[in-house]
Amino acid sequence: MQNDQENALRNRIAKMMADGLQTQTEPFPETDREFGQLLAELRDLPAEDLKARLVVSGFVDKPYGPDQMRCQECMYYLVHRKWCDLPELAVPVEPDWWCRLWRI
Amino acid sequence: MANLLWLQGGACSGNTMSFLNAEEPSACDLVTDFGINVLWHPSLGVELGDNVKKILLDCISGKIALDIFVFEGTVVTAPNGTGEWNRFAGRAMQDWVRELSKAATYVVAVGDCATWGGIPATAPNPSESRGMQFLKREKGGFLGDGFKSKSGLPVVNIPGCPAHPDWITQIVVAIATGRGADIAVDEFHRPKTFFQSFTQTGCTRNMHFAYKVSATEFGQRKGCLFYDLGCRGPMTHSPCNRILWNRQSSKTRAGMPCLGCTEPEFPFFDLAPGTVFKTQTVMGVPKDLPLGVDKKGYIALTGAAKNAAPAWAEQDLFVV
Repeated sequence: MQNDQENALRNRIAKMMADGLQTQTEPFPETDREFGQLLAELRDLPAEDLKARLVVSGFVDKPYGPDQMRCQECMYYLVHRKWCDLPELAVPVEPDWWCRLWRI
Repeated sequence: MANLLWLQGGACSGNTMSFLNAEEPSACDLVTDFGINVLWHPSLGVELGDNVKKILLDCISGKIALDIFVFEGTVVTAPNGTGEWNRFAGRAMQDWVRELSKAATYVVAVGDCATWGGIPATAPNPSESRGMQFLKREKGGFLGDGFKSKSGLPVVNIPGCPAHPDWITQIVVAIATGRGADIAVDEFHRPKTFFQSFTQTGCTRNMHFAYKVSATEFGQRKGCLFYDLGCRGPMTHSPCNRILWNRQSSKTRAGMPCLGCTEPEFPFFDLAPGTVFKTQTVMGVPKDLPLGVDKKGYIALTGAAKNAAPAWAEQDLFVV
């Protein structure tokens, strides 16, 4: 995907969340098994169903929780590309966003 | 000339296969260059039946000097401590192990099964398997915590699933050439020369570890295998990335996480579907952090490293 396309998609996601998209931020997958179940759920979704993927993964457009977790510190976040490298997501993101697949 | 006897208990022969692939030195070099006399070995010995038994009895009686006794596999003690589930040369293998260990100048345990019990001793352990001097992390094992061979050393443990062939042959050569007293062992009786550093030492993905860029699938040529795929390289003592396998590779170089097979806990966790090759986390933070790193420091380090990560760290590099 070219940078322009990634920027456009990032903007689209940002707008969806700014317009009030309700996503499933809870429960946070506390165990690896719960994490795996979320990944399996994501894999079952149609690749083009962006909204459903955002909902299941619990995206929010700001830092989350008492520790103010955010994409910037997540293992899957590629700093220079502003990209979530988790294969089940693989979407452009902003550093101050967060989702419940966050790992450090 | 040093006499070597190799027996096998509850095992898959993996360490024998590894040993036969040794290169520095090779198994043949042991005989031709280092004067080691292989009295008997399950895959090399030509004696059968009573002839094997005679060799073993002669070692026990002292008629044949037993310089190095190598044991591969667990000591099977089922049922009820009799060891009858693993008979060899007319009696329980555990009885041979006990008596040969007393007779030997050096006792060497090769592979995870002989060192800590490995896979056979994993719960529920129906064969009541034990390592020679450990059961997992618990000291004692079959021979007991206080056991020392005639040399004054406890059982020298060369763990691994399998042990790297050169770890085996180099320790055997050290003993055969009179340098056995130089073998310094750690708290788990592993030779420090091999097991003081970590699997991570020499890993070609260390830069990705430093900049917190994760590999997300097996075989990827970028990213660290620790953050997501359960790599135990930062907390496992082994020289797998210094003394390469087949002289050219290692698990991590091939994009496969370290399984921590040289540590007493191997295999780890509950082995339930979804827990293998996955970093175990609590609220997104790994349960097992690199040795000596606490959670607070880890989180601070991650933030700083991510901010400092160079662009190349995100590229698909050929790291082999």
